[in-house]
Amino acid sequence: MALPRSNYDPRRVCLNPFPDLHLDKYKRTVGVYIAGALFAIANWTFLDAAVYSAHARVPWGDEPPVHVTFVDWVPGICSLLGYLVVNLIDKDRIKGDEGFGDSRAVWRARLFLFIGFALMAGGLAGSVTILVLKYALNDYAEMFKYYGYANVTQNILLMLSAIVLWMAQSTNGEYEYNLTL
Amino acid sequence: MAAGLKTVILLSFVLAVGFLLIILSCALWHNWLPLLVAITFVIAPLPNALFSHCGADDFSGSYESTGAVDLGRFLTSLIVVTGFAFPIILAHSGVINTSACVMSIMGGGLVYGTILAYSQAFKQDESEFD
Repeated sequence: MALPRSNYDPRRVCLNPFPDLHLDKYKRTVGVYIAGALFAIANWTFLDAAVYSAHARVPWGDEPPVHVTFVDWVPGICSLLGYLVVNLIDKDRIKGDEGFGDSRAVWRARLFLFIGFALMAGGLAGSVTILVLKYALNDYAEMFKYYGYANVTQNILLMLSAIVLWMAQSTNGEYEYNLTL
Repeated sequence: MAAGLKTVILLSFVLAVGFLLIILSCALWHNWLPLLVAITFVIAPLPNALFSHCGADDFSGSYESTGAVDLGRFLTSLIVVTGFAFPIILAHSGVINTSACVMSIMGGGLVYGTILAYSQAFKQDESEFD
């Protein structure tokens, strides 16, 4: 392996570590841009389903059998709240360096991080639940199952955006830590 | 300065063509919703312009970007993607015509490309006076 042996991090879990992102000072910029784009694509995917539902006209009937209601919005709102919570945390607190801050602050920061990720995972699970219970089990046409797929896509992309943003913001050159949680 | 003058004239033509495409995409189908694309792309460079001054102070190096700069970039990317996604969504649900969608996307791309090219072309002149 071309990497020097001194780069070995004894805390890591995986055999292949996460890609070394702090090669360049533009990595952070590009990462933040990609995270914003993913965030926008996620929300517009769901809003597309909502607008499509509001304007849906079934060619053979008069009224579509199912609409996007408030229940469909709940997983996205959970994911958005989790996204906010995850990104409001001071990332230096999570590391828990000895002699930097007190341990209570580290504990609280980790609790907040857990709440944020739990909200995002809950949003993802809720979107899958809605896809299965509201759309897949009820034998609607494929154009109505798209609402459920859009919901799942929104939550997956929100989670991806959070991960990309986290990794992009962890690429300060002097503090060498990446996603080793 | 002749090259700068040519650049300004070319960019203003491209900007005018972009706005023409957006306005045509509204007026040809009597549906003025794609005009929001023009507003979106005009405010797209605003977050970067605002937050880029929050980054540098006396205690941090100029290469080190802070949270405010990141927020500005995040918002910029979000607004740009919104500008491209909005006509697609409207066309998908049948609110506007598909050709109106294509025209407004092309016009918005031209407008935003003009803004980017302008800020890139004339950034060198400002930095000489620093």
